[in-house]
Amino acid sequence: MSRLLEVSGITKHFGGLYALAGLDLHVDEGEIVSVIGPNGAGKSTLFNVTTGLYPPDEGDITFRGESIVGRRPNQITKLGIARTFQNVHLFPNMTVLENAMVGQHCRTRSGVFGTILQTPRTRREEREIRERASRALGFFGPRLAGYRQDQPAFVLSYANRRRLEMARALATDPTLILLDEPTAGMNPRETLELRDHIVRMRDELGLTVLVIEHDMRVVKGVSDRVIACDYGRKIAEGTYEEVAHDPQVIEAYLGTKAAG
Amino acid sequence: MSATGSRAVGGGALGRLERLPLRRIVLTALSIGVLVAVVYGSYRTLTLPAGQRYSASAWRDFIVLGIAQGAVYALIALGYTLVYGILRMINFAHGEVFMAGAFSSYFFADAWKDSGFMDDRTWLSLVLLVLIAMGVSVLVAVLLERIAYRPLRGAPRLVPLITAIGASLFLQNTFRGLFGSQTKGYPKPTALEGTWTILGIPIQKVQVIVLVVATVSMIALTLFVARTKTGKSMRAAAEDQEIASLMGIDVDRVIVTTFIIGGMLAGIAGVLFALTFGNISYFMGFAPGITAFTAAVLGGIGSISGAAIGGLTIGLLQSVGPALLLTGANVPSPFQLKDVVTFAILILVLVFRPGGILGTGEAEKV
Amino acid sequence: MTVGTRTGVRAGLIGGVVLVYLAMVGMIAAFDDLNLIGEQVTLGLVLLAAPPFGAALLAVRPRVVGGRVERPEPRAALVTGMLAGGLSGAVLGAWALVVDAIGIERVRQVFVAVSPKLMDIITFGRGLPVGAVILLVGGVVLGAVGGVWRTIRYDLRRPLSVGAGVVLLMGLLQRIVPTILDELSIERDWLYSKVTLGLTWLGAIVVFVVAAGVTAFVMDRRERAGAAAPGAGTVEGRRAFRGVLLLAVAFGLIVLPQLAGTIVSEILGSVGVYVLLALGLNIVTGYAGMLHLGFGAFFLIGAYSTALLTGANLVTAFGLVAPQFSANLDFYVALPLVIALGAGVGALLAAPVLRLRGDYLAIVTLAFGQIAVILVTSNWLQPITGGPQGLRDVTDAELLGVSFRTPQSFYYLVVAFCVIAVYVSWRLASSRTGRAWNAMREDEQVADAMGVNTPRYKLLGFAIGGAIGAVGGALFAVKVGTVQPGSFEILVSITTLAIVILGGLGSVPGVVVGALVLIGLPGLLSQFEEYRLLIYGAVLVAIMILRPQGLIPNVRRSRELQEEERTQDAWQQIFGEPESEQEPAAEDAR
Repeated sequence: MSRLLEVSGITKHFGGLYALAGLDLHVDEGEIVSVIGPNGAGKSTLFNVTTGLYPPDEGDITFRGESIVGRRPNQITKLGIARTFQNVHLFPNMTVLENAMVGQHCRTRSGVFGTILQTPRTRREEREIRERASRALGFFGPRLAGYRQDQPAFVLSYANRRRLEMARALATDPTLILLDEPTAGMNPRETLELRDHIVRMRDELGLTVLVIEHDMRVVKGVSDRVIACDYGRKIAEGTYEEVAHDPQVIEAYLGTKAAG
Repeated sequence: MSATGSRAVGGGALGRLERLPLRRIVLTALSIGVLVAVVYGSYRTLTLPAGQRYSASAWRDFIVLGIAQGAVYALIALGYTLVYGILRMINFAHGEVFMAGAFSSYFFADAWKDSGFMDDRTWLSLVLLVLIAMGVSVLVAVLLERIAYRPLRGAPRLVPLITAIGASLFLQNTFRGLFGSQTKGYPKPTALEGTWTILGIPIQKVQVIVLVVATVSMIALTLFVARTKTGKSMRAAAEDQEIASLMGIDVDRVIVTTFIIGGMLAGIAGVLFALTFGNISYFMGFAPGITAFTAAVLGGIGSISGAAIGGLTIGLLQSVGPALLLTGANVPSPFQLKDVVTFAILILVLVFRPGGILGTGEAEKV
Repeated sequence: MTVGTRTGVRAGLIGGVVLVYLAMVGMIAAFDDLNLIGEQVTLGLVLLAAPPFGAALLAVRPRVVGGRVERPEPRAALVTGMLAGGLSGAVLGAWALVVDAIGIERVRQVFVAVSPKLMDIITFGRGLPVGAVILLVGGVVLGAVGGVWRTIRYDLRRPLSVGAGVVLLMGLLQRIVPTILDELSIERDWLYSKVTLGLTWLGAIVVFVVAAGVTAFVMDRRERAGAAAPGAGTVEGRRAFRGVLLLAVAFGLIVLPQLAGTIVSEILGSVGVYVLLALGLNIVTGYAGMLHLGFGAFFLIGAYSTALLTGANLVTAFGLVAPQFSANLDFYVALPLVIALGAGVGALLAAPVLRLRGDYLAIVTLAFGQIAVILVTSNWLQPITGGPQGLRDVTDAELLGVSFRTPQSFYYLVVAFCVIAVYVSWRLASSRTGRAWNAMREDEQVADAMGVNTPRYKLLGFAIGGAIGAVGGALFAVKVGTVQPGSFEILVSITTLAIVILGGLGSVPGVVVGALVLIGLPGLLSQFEEYRLLIYGAVLVAIMILRPQGLIPNVRRSRELQEEERTQDAWQQIFGEPESEQEPAAEDAR
């Protein structure tokens, strides 16, 4: 099992506020790792820095052994890291299918000339993009399939929007997928369903998953490893049981642990 | 099997081209190019043979003119910067607010010159002209806010910009329709013709007035914003509109006040400009408008002292720049290109230091 | 004051101010020369009648109060409407009295448009104070109609408004339609008067009845079809309708210049060039979402480079001189070079500023455009560009022995290029590139995160836009035969922008309609020419506030499913999310 993602000592501050203060973590291939911690612990910032939205002030991040700090987001996606967002950020006026097709953008190459001249290669690629996007949508079963695919994204229900965002990330054919609070706002049944989907991502698609989650039922159900953060640093690491009973973690959370 | 069914699973490599820091290369090339041009041009100009060179007094005049111009630009720039600070929008039509003030004061100035009132009671007539210009400019500014901008609060930023462009066109051509398309000569009071010698430097009387009035206005504005309750509300709203309104500040009123102040300053600038350059027309707002906007950006948009510094700098650069950079390089009629200098500065500032001189050096959060 | 009175007074004052504005700016006087129906109904009269009527409509419009829609009942609406309309008229009347009291000549020294002719028009030839009374009474009548307008049944109202609209349109098209009818040897004196140039009363009535009748008929049919099989057949029906419409338009485009005469063909040629330009801007701003205020610079570059590459000469005080750099290529050989130049410059200018936020980017494009114009007109570059006098003897774009110098043939040349541009736009819209642009426009940061190389696609957008713009310039140079700066650039930039915005960002049919309205009308009616920029400015503001998606919204974006959209959504469709709602993320630090 090789180290897929290695984050060493990254620091990021905004003005006087330190979102990340020397965070270390790693993810091995084929793992599902959860990141937990109270709000403001820097978890989303970790994702933003990893995917290149802004660079860290200090520290390094390597993916497959190569440093990705300073790379543009689209380059990082092309390298194989995909992500979802805490607040859903779809392309609201594009159809469901088109949203997913955008995910295939970095895996294809047709350009302007191919489009204007309608070369065979372009047409073939366009077909492939459609199929692959459709397949990615199909990961969630019938919910995003069929007539839904041609509807604009803004008509979707909240849960479906979250699924679409994940499908879109899946459509980029990633190696590592970063999920930022995927079950936020979902009801218990949807949450459990999603928990199973996350496991399927690893088992069926061979993805490595790094999840930020607040819902401990999900964390417990999917994680190979759990990393707890607070104030921009790692405060505990281990299995769910180990971390759940860690005194520092309990202190940081003070009672937000869900029952069960 | 990947999510999309494709064989080529996850993780492409980056091509060679993608790995290059293209942006840095382009920018470095650009900055080198600009530097070379500036140095070369200045060197050539300063080493021209004695017959073609500018004399010391010529340079001195350029500088004085630059400062005077700069003061006017600073006044207009304040309007841009104040509105931007609160609404985060570029009030493209501010140049027309400036023009409206200047234009409307013209009719009175003309009448008073003819009747002799202007020369009999010079100071009184000037004060009245400024008041009239301020009044009209404020009216136009408030109407703009109410009709064109208020319905669009909260829209994506390009929408108010397009609206502002439309409003600018509309105002320009309204004045053209109302008053005719010819440029009109702005009368100068006889008392203000000629120069005063201050510290051994002959300065045009009009320019002195411009400097004094502009400085007083800016000081007044700074005091107003720093000391008064309204000023504090303005600063609060500029920081965070939502929180300010939660603190009980009537944000709508603050915004209108901002436009009013911007309008007042533009009106003053209008009269000063007209006195300095001697004429007005319906399109006189366009170039000064963009120049003043450049000044605001140069100094750091949203910052009052930035507008002042930016205005002065631009004024000087406009005045000294073409002479310094282009004469030596054998560019005929360099002053034709003074606006090119301004626009080039605008582009350079936005490329290299969008936060302006007084900014943080980072671009504002997108 | 009750609510009705207050709104009535407010609307009436607004209407009055509008009337006074139209009078003082000179539009009423200028438009009065245009006879629409007979000698009585001129465009000036329409301008006089519109504000009181509009004020009444404004005053009685349904309001949402406390979550419910409130509609004034007919009697109150009538009164409020009369109040609004009457007040509008009264304001103008009062203004006229004041002007008369001061003395027209004195007023005229300041407000140049206030002339005896104007006073004559607004007092209907009867002078004051009778004229003021007429204004008041007329306002009241119009206001009454406006007040109860909404209470008229929809299936009656629609045909009436369509009928009136068609009559107005026919009146405005008085330079085209009679000429066409003449060419087809169709009797037309009953329809258009040779004396007034406008419609005759008989003609107007006939047109009105026919238009209203057809509308009523179509509405009736639609209702019956809908009642019989709800929803069925509408999609196919609509598609078939669109196909027929497209064929009709294509037929019209091909046939029109033959029938309509040289002048109209000339105007259509201009419209065509602007359609081409607007298609280019449509790609930059409509697809890729970058507001471009300096588009005219590419027009300029295309025109000048075409001239230089095809052997044009400088106009100097000493006669015609060859420019310092020039070649003598055939137009069609030079064209690819011009296109490459346009694309290259477009990309190059955009390159350093790609990371800028939307409105700053727009200002930079404006700055570039201005720089281009100033440089081209300067004395410095005079040996190449000819300074203010420009270049002459641009080649004729001869192809296979066919000269394109006549208006008609030039028109076909332009149409050919437009068709190509339309095809390119259409293909790009639903391609990988188009998707990337859409994503970028809707949410740039997320598009980046999803693997779209946004700077590259911005560059691409600018390059393609620049290329198309340059072609527009090339064609224009051929058409006119000379290239002069004039106040070229900013006018072209603004006009193109207005066309795209009016038509609807991202909408190809919208661009065509926009060009027809904004270029065709001023071309046909010289009265409009004078007020062109004024109208453009007003159009831009009005569209942004009232209907930001434009006249013919982009089909993909408006999604025929949703007709009624909250304005916020309409903006979002076109421009993406307002920044305040986006994820907080700063730009790359250096």
